Amino acid sequence: MAIRLKALAFAFGLMTSLVAVAPGVEAAGGEIVIASVQGPPSLDAHVTNAQVARNITLHIYETLYARNENAEAVPDLAEGVSVSDDGLTYTFKLRQGVKFHNGKEMTSADVVASIERYRKIGVSPALVAAIDTVTAQGPYEVAVKLKAKQSVFLDNISSPRAPIAIYPAEEAAKGANEIQYIGTGPFKFVEYKPDSHVTLEKFADYVPNPAYQKRDGLAGKKEVLIDRVTFRFIPEAGARTAALESGAVQIVETVDGPTAERLRKDSKYVVHDVLPFAFQVIKLNHAQAPTDDVNFRKAVQAALDMQEVMEISYAGINQVDGGWVFPKSPFAADAGLDQYNLADFEKAKEFLGKSNYKGETVTFITDNLRPNVDIATVVQSRLAEIGVKVDIKVADWPTTSKIGFTDAGWNFWTHGFGIEPFEGPGTVMAAFVGGNAQRVADPEIDRIAKEFFATLDDAQKKELFKQFQQRMYDNMVAIKTGNYGLFQVTNDKVKDFVPFRIPRMWGVTLAP
Amino acid sequence: MRDYLLRRLVSVIPVLFLVSLMSFAVIWIIPGDPTAAFLDASSTPEDIARLREMLGLDKPPLVQMAEWYSRVLTGDLGQSILLRIPVLSAILERLPLTLFLAALALLVAVGLGVAAGTFAATRRGSFADQSVMALALLGLSVPDFWFGLLLIVVFSVQFGWLPSGGYVPLLEDPAGWARSMLLPTLTLAVVQIGFIARMTRSAMLDVISQDFMRTAESKGLPGLYIILRHGLPNAMMPILTVTGIIAGALLGSAVVVEQVFALPGVGRLIIGGILSRDYPLIQGGLLFLTVIYLLINLIVDLLYAAVDPRVRLE
Repeated sequence: MAIRLKALAFAFGLMTSLVAVAPGVEAAGGEIVIASVQGPPSLDAHVTNAQVARNITLHIYETLYARNENAEAVPDLAEGVSVSDDGLTYTFKLRQGVKFHNGKEMTSADVVASIERYRKIGVSPALVAAIDTVTAQGPYEVAVKLKAKQSVFLDNISSPRAPIAIYPAEEAAKGANEIQYIGTGPFKFVEYKPDSHVTLEKFADYVPNPAYQKRDGLAGKKEVLIDRVTFRFIPEAGARTAALESGAVQIVETVDGPTAERLRKDSKYVVHDVLPFAFQVIKLNHAQAPTDDVNFRKAVQAALDMQEVMEISYAGINQVDGGWVFPKSPFAADAGLDQYNLADFEKAKEFLGKSNYKGETVTFITDNLRPNVDIATVVQSRLAEIGVKVDIKVADWPTTSKIGFTDAGWNFWTHGFGIEPFEGPGTVMAAFVGGNAQRVADPEIDRIAKEFFATLDDAQKKELFKQFQQRMYDNMVAIKTGNYGLFQVTNDKVKDFVPFRIPRMWGVTLAP
Repeated sequence: MRDYLLRRLVSVIPVLFLVSLMSFAVIWIIPGDPTAAFLDASSTPEDIARLREMLGLDKPPLVQMAEWYSRVLTGDLGQSILLRIPVLSAILERLPLTLFLAALALLVAVGLGVAAGTFAATRRGSFADQSVMALALLGLSVPDFWFGLLLIVVFSVQFGWLPSGGYVPLLEDPAGWARSMLLPTLTLAVVQIGFIARMTRSAMLDVISQDFMRTAESKGLPGLYIILRHGLPNAMMPILTVTGIIAGALLGSAVVVEQVFALPGVGRLIIGGILSRDYPLIQGGLLFLTVIYLLINLIVDLLYAAVDPRVRLE
């Protein structure tokens, strides 16, 4: 009898506890764990332009203007902007009642301090280079005066590259990498365990921008429906997929082609194609023979079969496209494209004959990212067909990038242009201004870029960009092999996820 | 004994100095610096120079070296550039995980390896002997990252019994900690089990053929007793040597296992430091690992004397 009573009491207790937790189960909330490739070098948004960092920081911090789904600059923390007739003064009207994660209301003092900090220590100083002065005009208005007209100023202010995040003024007074991670974003920082994870939680006082009805790129309505999000760093690709398949994580930020194909066949997962995500570019060193010779550079371009290059390096998620902006951009043009993807050995040999190439071995540097190594290998075998010897040097990213920023030790260097095409034609051009990428200044590119940055006329900007693309091919400044994408994967518990450059955790819900 | 200890401890100093000099040399030889972790390829040389200055990397190498040595002498290993915390606390925070992992793997490897080796030796030439040795060879030949992934696929993905990775601190949740450590421990141990089993077998075969073993047998003592009481202790020396070597090797292999199972241990800390060129972290980490290595060696040498009275620590 005593046992029966105990059993009854136990059953009753169990039922009441189930009833007690039931409302929690049904309500929105829960935690989403995202498997990331690696940890961020910093969570101070001003000091890093690494993709792994912005995946996290763009949940914590916001900018005055942000890029929407089509990469256009739209208001985020600002309500709007008025530009003076001479194009030199931008007056930003701030949204009122926006709270920082420490409870303080954002005012013009915070915006001024943040922009000033970025001018001092921001890692992409080009974004703010045009600024002359930044002044507060009352608590909710900030005036930015430029030294000279700049056609891409709003693009720069809204760039997610190393975002000009708005920090509380007291944080903005601190040095690089020394801030508390306080922003105005929909998530607030909870914990960072290096080599393990970053945890963020829903910022309860966040009020989505009332100007928007729905999620739109990195702007729009940022409504948080989950409680927490954890970015877990799993460097090993197989382990990342295993974590998804065992249910330990709900989202993987990127998987390779064969894994994506396998998961696509399983109804438990949704594979999202983010294409185009980036350009694949082979930089050519104009400061070193034989790539200093335009005919040699043209021989290389003529020999390459871009279908082969892209399909081997980014199987199942690539576009053979030679334009120096993404295909849907209003700047997309076909200038110079008759020289793209020729796959013509005869023509290549013709150019080679006109060049100063004397049979020397050409050096191709690449970091150890698999697709980059694949591209180097494909180019090597292709060029062998026209009698050009290529030596591939693979090292880690710090080593490769160090060599690539010098005039010696390399002829070809391949890597993705990730954020540049998303930022738009101005940034793509800037990479080649002053010979930054190709090591020898190209006066024509410099002239086009200078005019582009100075004009506010859209038609003229388009015309100048066309000239830029034509020049890229005519002087074969660098080779664009194509566009590539990435596969983001969610499991069937994640609802309302819309793929984008960064895995946005606003608007997303989690099924119990 | 005390003199021996003192002598050994003093001899550590030049080794540490040499290691630190070599790590400085390596850092200067390999191109790239910590700015690469912060910046992408579209940054201009001016952007890089600006960041270098902000991170204090613009000082001449000799000045940086002098500053480092003067700090180390006071027990300060400097501040990690990326983690923004003192290198020593970064290491000490990660060390328990790596040490536990290595110690557990050592325990499993020695336990299973010695048992398997002894089992095989006492059945020399039999099918059982050959099977155990074939298994040991297989264990030795398996790449640990592959074995780790295999375990994840079977026990996490297929059966869902164990987590696929990540770390649960022991004090937070002991059961969770045990679950999170099981697969990494097995992965780390598998190569060493094979190694110890083969070593134990050959050491035991030597011992079994000795006169005192035959004497013990002729006295009618039970087989297991003879092996445990007379055989194993006499086979201990080579096993101990191997165990010492393995203890050091485990710290190295832990890097791979920490990577596969996403465990925040010292190995991953230092690898991350190298990949991002976090100089203070590389310097401090290498110095610290060297100290641990030397300590393990010292302990093994002291154990020699404890196990075999013929060894004199002079």
